[in-house]
Amino acid sequence: MATTITVNQTERSLISSEETPLLWVLRDELKLTGTKYGCGVAQCGACTVMLDGQPVRSCQVAIGDIAGSDVTTIEAVSGVEADAVRQAWVEMDVVQCGFCQSGQVVQAIGLLELNPEPTDGDIDTYMGGNVCRCATYVRVRKAIHRAAEILAA
Amino acid sequence: MQNTRALMACALVAGLLLAPAFAADDETVAYPAAGTVDGATGLEAWSRIYEVASHPRCANCHTGESDVPMWSGPSYGDEPRQHGMRIRAGESRIGAEHLTCSTCHSYSEIPQTVPHAAPRVGASWQLAPAEAHWFGKSSEFICAQLRDLERNDGRDYLALADHIGHDVILHWAWSPGVGREPAPYSLAEHIMDIHLWGAAGQPCPQD
Ligand code: FES
Ligand code: FES
Repeated sequence: MATTITVNQTERSLISSEETPLLWVLRDELKLTGTKYGCGVAQCGACTVMLDGQPVRSCQVAIGDIAGSDVTTIEAVSGVEADAVRQAWVEMDVVQCGFCQSGQVVQAIGLLELNPEPTDGDIDTYMGGNVCRCATYVRVRKAIHRAAEILAA
Repeated sequence: MQNTRALMACALVAGLLLAPAFAADDETVAYPAAGTVDGATGLEAWSRIYEVASHPRCANCHTGESDVPMWSGPSYGDEPRQHGMRIRAGESRIGAEHLTCSTCHSYSEIPQTVPHAAPRVGASWQLAPAEAHWFGKSSEFICAQLRDLERNDGRDYLALADHIGHDVILHWAWSPGVGREPAPYSLAEHIMDIHLWGAAGQPCPQD
């Protein structure tokens, strides 16, 4: 039986089997390639998307488990936190190669929704599962502080 | 083979009062009644229980006051180490104060078939309560904790066996997915051992 989920506010009836990871449904079936494949085993964070408002590693989510859920990908993140993160990311020129960045951005939005004034420690803990091979960590941290400032203004 | 061992242990108490009960798989199993198992048999059962409790599949998430899960076991090399990614489970034990365990450990009954992927089960992934500190602890220490109602959530041995039979996150230890060594024995054998140990009066090596 087809699984139906809402992706970026559009209901989608999926042809993939229920054990298929959400990541592959997004990229291969729905052609939403903003979400990246880094490891497939929850080690890198590149595949992070919002699932019912929480950042999750889409490579670890079987679609059979999320029928009826809301998924938001990097293509459609929105709201004040998303706007602040987008602005801060540009101001701080965070991105190097960019491969990890859709995951970093979605995770950072999740952090600011939970905690609008994170400390360095909060950032390091919450973002610890988002790996960047270009080592943009210092700029990611600065940009999250900047996004918090934008939110507070 | 393990089944045979548990059955033989059971045979030691044959002829004594046997109390019917349900194991995790809902198969009717006859468990020994309280007071019908001798101390030596109870201690043997305890040593098998300790093998399970101290196995990485169980102990890695029984880290006591530390809210950091451990990575140890055959797939992690010789030295145990803390869970990567700065993971902290917080007082909530599910990471709610930091990064929820469910970010990676999905709630799923669909078996994990990818080696090295995040373990998952049809329950919320979490650390055991701080009182149940098993990682790196001795047989004596864990035994004393498990029979102490103050530190085992008020469970007598029957409640403990029932908890193990019905809390599916614990069942993950015996079906941890591809590439991970399961806990020793089987769930049914482990539950039988809890009954044997309990019916013998919960003896510990230090008694
Ligand atoms: S691709 Fe999912 S965490 Fe790396
Ligand atoms: S910017 Fe290159 S991997 Fe993060």
